Amino acid sequence: MIADEDLPPENAAAALRLIDEQRATAARQFEPDPRTYYWPWGLAWLLGFGLHFLYYSPGDTPLVEMPSWLPLTVLFVLLTVAGIVTAVAGARAYGQVTGESARRGTWYGWAWGLGFLTLFVLAGRLSDSLPPDLVGLLWSALAVGLTGILHMAGGAIWLDHRLFLLGVWITMVNLIGTIAGPGWHALVVAVAGGGGMLLAGTLGWLRRRSRR
Amino acid sequence: MTELDPVIHAQARLRVVASLSALPDCDQVTFPRLQEVLGMTAGNLSVHLRRLEEAGYVAVTKTHRGRTPVTLIALTRRGRLAFEEYTEAIRALLAPADSKETP
Repeated sequence: MIADEDLPPENAAAALRLIDEQRATAARQFEPDPRTYYWPWGLAWLLGFGLHFLYYSPGDTPLVEMPSWLPLTVLFVLLTVAGIVTAVAGARAYGQVTGESARRGTWYGWAWGLGFLTLFVLAGRLSDSLPPDLVGLLWSALAVGLTGILHMAGGAIWLDHRLFLLGVWITMVNLIGTIAGPGWHALVVAVAGGGGMLLAGTLGWLRRRSRR
Repeated sequence: MTELDPVIHAQARLRVVASLSALPDCDQVTFPRLQEVLGMTAGNLSVHLRRLEEAGYVAVTKTHRGRTPVTLIALTRRGRLAFEEYTEAIRALLAPADSKETP
């Protein structure tokens, strides 16, 4: 067995093919599938914020009648599921690799955690003194804004221009929605934000397949 | 014709080096994970890693994660260079001899 494998590749073309295939295989194993990173979040935003728009619509009456607890519950459940899927996929790909990128990943994870802790404490303190529609806008605009900025930071850390551009996109979408006001914000984030994430996952996946 | 590096110019070791080259600089991978990526037996992989380590192309670090011993593997700077030179030499063999003359 070993003697066979010790043989050189048949010719230069075979050697180059072997190098390309092996590098692509290894890269696929060392990096998580982009779909597992973007699709669950994109879906959570699309459905969660979509329901928010239908219930807390601009104007006085909901566009679609539903139990008042439904939009927020759906959003939180889907966000939790997305978090778990991403964590499992990340552990699967990065769990057996150590070194600088593991350290970057860990610190980046801390930035997300502390960022959202800050957001919860701040928005929690302000929520009592604002009218309900502004409370909703406060929470979602802060959360989406933080997500956009952290995506931009991620792009800077890994010099990944796609990640950076997604961050810019989310930030712009959030700004437009915030200016448009309560209700509209949910619509813009659901369609353009969630859609952007679904698109980013699809593009990343296609790129990864073509690298084979 | 350029002499091809005999350490890398063997199918199994070329696959090992090519896989390790896909890791970012300064990263290491555990032995079982590398084995999984390559689809080699542990014994087989050990033999090839020893040969690559002797050539100074691969660094094998034995450490502990909690109480479990862990073996970490990475390409050394020298190994990365050797792999790049090998790939270049292969490309040169494939390119038509006169293509480099035209600007």
